[in-house]
Amino acid sequence: MVMKRLDVRLLRLIKHSKGQFFSISIMVIIALTIYISFNMVADNLYNSIYHYYEETNFSDVFIEVVRVPKTAIDKLYTIEGIESAQGRISADVPLRVEDPEEKVRVRIVSVPNEDKIINNLYKIEGKDLQVDSKKTAVLQQFSDARGIVLEDRVRPYIAGREYPLEVISIVGSPEYIYLMENEQSLIPAPEKFGILYVTEDFAQSALGYQGSYNEIMVKINPEYYNSVDNIVDDIEDQLDRYGVKSIVKREDQLSHSMMMQEVEQLEAMATSITLLFLIVAAIIINIMLSRIVKNDRMSIGVMKALGYNNISILMHYTKFSLAIGLLGSIIGIVLSIPLSAAFTNLYIFYMNIPMFEMTLYEKYFIYGIVLTSVFCIISGLIGARSVLKILPASAMQPEIPKAGHRIWLEQIKFIWNRISFSWKMVIRNIFRKKKRAIFLILGIALTYSITMVPIFMSSVWGNVFMIQYGKYQTMGYNIDFTIPMNDSVIREISQLIDVDSIEPKTEIPFELRNGWKKKAVSVIALPENTSFYYFESMSGQELKLPTNGILLSDRLAKAIGASVGDDILMKSFLPDGDDTYINVKGVVEQYLGTNAYMTIDTMNELIGEKGLITGVLLNSKDDVVTKLKDVKNVKQVQSVEDMKNSFLEFMDMMIYSVGVMMIFGGILGFAIVYNVNVISISERVMEFSSLRVLGFDKREIYKMVSRENGIMAFFGILIGMPLGYSMCKGMIASLAMDMVTIPLIIENSSYVITAIATLSFVIIAQLATVRKIYRLNFLDALKNRIS
Amino acid sequence: MDSKEVLMKVEGVSKFYQMGEVTVAALKDVSLNIYQGEFVVILGPSGSGKSTLLNILGGMDLPSEGKVVMEGEEITNYSDRKLTIYRREKIGFVFQFYNLMSNLTAIENVELATEICSDALNVNEVLEAVGLGERKDHFPAQMSGGEQQRVSIARAVAKNPSLLLCDEPTGALDFNTGIKILSQLKRINKEYNKTVIIITHNMPIGAMADRVIKMRSGEIIETKVNDNPIPPEGIEW
Ligand SMILES: Nc1ncnc2c1ncn2[C@@H]1O[C@H](COP(=O)(O)OP(=O)(O)OP(=O)(O)O)[C@@H](O)[C@H]1O
Ligand SMILES: [Mg+2]
Repeated sequence: MVMKRLDVRLLRLIKHSKGQFFSISIMVIIALTIYISFNMVADNLYNSIYHYYEETNFSDVFIEVVRVPKTAIDKLYTIEGIESAQGRISADVPLRVEDPEEKVRVRIVSVPNEDKIINNLYKIEGKDLQVDSKKTAVLQQFSDARGIVLEDRVRPYIAGREYPLEVISIVGSPEYIYLMENEQSLIPAPEKFGILYVTEDFAQSALGYQGSYNEIMVKINPEYYNSVDNIVDDIEDQLDRYGVKSIVKREDQLSHSMMMQEVEQLEAMATSITLLFLIVAAIIINIMLSRIVKNDRMSIGVMKALGYNNISILMHYTKFSLAIGLLGSIIGIVLSIPLSAAFTNLYIFYMNIPMFEMTLYEKYFIYGIVLTSVFCIISGLIGARSVLKILPASAMQPEIPKAGHRIWLEQIKFIWNRISFSWKMVIRNIFRKKKRAIFLILGIALTYSITMVPIFMSSVWGNVFMIQYGKYQTMGYNIDFTIPMNDSVIREISQLIDVDSIEPKTEIPFELRNGWKKKAVSVIALPENTSFYYFESMSGQELKLPTNGILLSDRLAKAIGASVGDDILMKSFLPDGDDTYINVKGVVEQYLGTNAYMTIDTMNELIGEKGLITGVLLNSKDDVVTKLKDVKNVKQVQSVEDMKNSFLEFMDMMIYSVGVMMIFGGILGFAIVYNVNVISISERVMEFSSLRVLGFDKREIYKMVSRENGIMAFFGILIGMPLGYSMCKGMIASLAMDMVTIPLIIENSSYVITAIATLSFVIIAQLATVRKIYRLNFLDALKNRIS
Repeated sequence: MDSKEVLMKVEGVSKFYQMGEVTVAALKDVSLNIYQGEFVVILGPSGSGKSTLLNILGGMDLPSEGKVVMEGEEITNYSDRKLTIYRREKIGFVFQFYNLMSNLTAIENVELATEICSDALNVNEVLEAVGLGERKDHFPAQMSGGEQQRVSIARAVAKNPSLLLCDEPTGALDFNTGIKILSQLKRINKEYNKTVIIITHNMPIGAMADRVIKMRSGEIIETKVNDNPIPPEGIEW
């Protein structure tokens, strides 16, 4: 089949404007590559996780109790909907490693002696865990991070004794795909915290749980998934006397919820980045096509005079954008396959899903093509719509000169008269193409705000840390005891180490309820005049610990919907603890963690004890960690230094995503500025040619274009600042994590750095158009007008 | 001439342009007949309404009043769609500034016109006929004005239209080239038996026409039948 002449013309048109064609295509390619690969990885991740859950019989409900006998677990089967329930023992203990300075903790977890084990282990290497109690199965992330191999010996330190255990296998677990010690941890630190699976016999004898357990895993019959909440309530009632510490549904389980967040984040990114790029591409296509149609006014008149109808002419131009869409789609699809594979590999590398596999979901290819085609066709049609208004008789008439208007600035004589001639031209040009100028300004503003988010994020973590540990909490060490102790222990510790200051503390988990809203948190009790904690209300006023009442962290207050003056219920997890009401005296800012605070006196009154504390806070220049290492009843010594380190790692991770976002912002900024510049240059060939004939040189013309861009960049950045501010605000809201509040503190330097980055994107894009002006053949341009 | 069959009837056609307060009458109650196979030259000073009339005849513009009947059908109440088909099938246009598509070669420019009509002539033959057989693969920018105008004529002729409308086809050309273009048009008029209407403000060109229509201020002031049209080569101006 011979190609239609109009299509030949189209191909040459594309060839002629290939710079623009490709720079818009790149945006479509990025949009589509991200759309397909992120969605595919999200699907793969989700399906792999659920496949893994099925293979390993992942638990639906996790219950922590003080101590429960097997008989009580068996009785759970009477609750309708419970398919199976198994008990296990779990305890976090220190692990002895070569470097005595290094603090490594492991969770000893027993594997039930059952047929169909809930949370079964996925064996990666080695043999099954036998009844032999001197053996252990190690979680893969931990063994990888610490270089533990089969037949090595690991030495957990349990209840004052070291137990050398032989590593018999390396395993994965659905419970620890995302390995974090607890919700307070910011990031996984697999070399500092791991899981050792042991036999039930070993765990029971070493941890002192003969015939009983401290954790229960429950599988629910899929038909009862809708009534999980009722089942949980029934379980709570039945186990009440065994001291229920927590009941966690699968959706709230740490690893699971982190993984689901990951999936959701991928999906959200797929949608938002794709739409952002497609919308910007569509606007540029629209501007470009309306420019082409305008330039082609005479040709369109000829086509109409020759008998081409509106639809075929409209199609002719729309095919231009469709070609961009199709080229973008095809390259996007081709690129998305290796990118998805790379992403998948990244997940295999970071996550512990042994059966992670890569499936291509062709549906995303189709969705992607349809999505981009729709965007491109619509923007093409809108861009070329003025074809309809062009009359066939236009072919006969030379271009009607556009009526020149005075701009409003000219009315303000005392300003206008002070502006030099070349600046006047620059300003007139901007005003002549108001819509385009607005788009360019908004585009630059968008680039600014996108670039601002990562710059803000990378500086804010330092702030969070500084405020949280430099202002709100100023202790150097946080020491927890294994059991509550008499407050006279403070004296003993002061004798052991050389302390600058020391304070007692009591930290006990409670469930706080307000109406139907509830949340389990650690309530921290401190001396009334604590010098280590500083409380600040949301409006920045200092608050003192109330003598009778409780302070809630902001996130906690929001979670249970409580405000100052409310009486909330404190539900104890202890076997014979009473439930009491307490008055909320204040809501305090807390960036890291979610806690409630009261005085030690209030706490003692609440639990009916006297002089008992669960830990101390202290400041010391002494070698606290080493000196307290083997001290009996010291569960853990946490130094701010440790937290600082995990923070630094967290920041490292942030820097990676900062870079990625900057790249997207940069591409967007480049594409907008480059395309708008190329469009306006090709539109003004006549004008530039006339200026050249009048004796302007290339540099002067380039300077004029630069000034125009400079003015628009200035306004773009100006608008970008509040836009960036709200984008950061939105980012914080969308990141609303359970454990961290990100304060909206934007440094002045962040604004400046973002402005510099944005300006560089603009300059790079403009440099890319230098060629266009320098190669401008003004004689040709002038001749073309006649023939 | 009366024996000749009427191709087109123009009855009481006026065209007004509203320019703010004032109404410009580009055509005032113009009536005329165009006969099959004749060679008509419309003469008149600038602004007399020649192009306006031609546009209306070619279905590119609609009159404010009056009607145009082509081969028995009134085109002035055609829908947009029918007007497009009318232009496609019945009319060939030659423009003063050639108006070729700059990114199509000579032959492609002609094919652009022929591929949408039902009864087109052989494109290569038509290009040979206007003497451009050798240059058919050249782009407009590589051709002289006269050559470009010949492509434009080939484009109009190859459609095999009933009526060839030329708005100042020699306006942008020198004398000799202009004469060549005119003889091409004359040849096409004779060889293909096409009705040709040429607009010009160049009086001597009237000598080659079968009929000369003179216009002034939107009105036909004189119609002159030329019993012995001279060949274009004999024209002098
Ligand atoms: N779109 C328009 N709007 C307003 N007035 C118009 C328009 N088109 C033509 N006219 C006016 O109609 C009158 C006739 O114009 P037309 O183009 O038909 O003249 P012409 O005889 O072809 O002149 P020329 O020899 O210069 O081409 C002129 O006075 C012109 O100003
Ligand atoms: Mg005219």
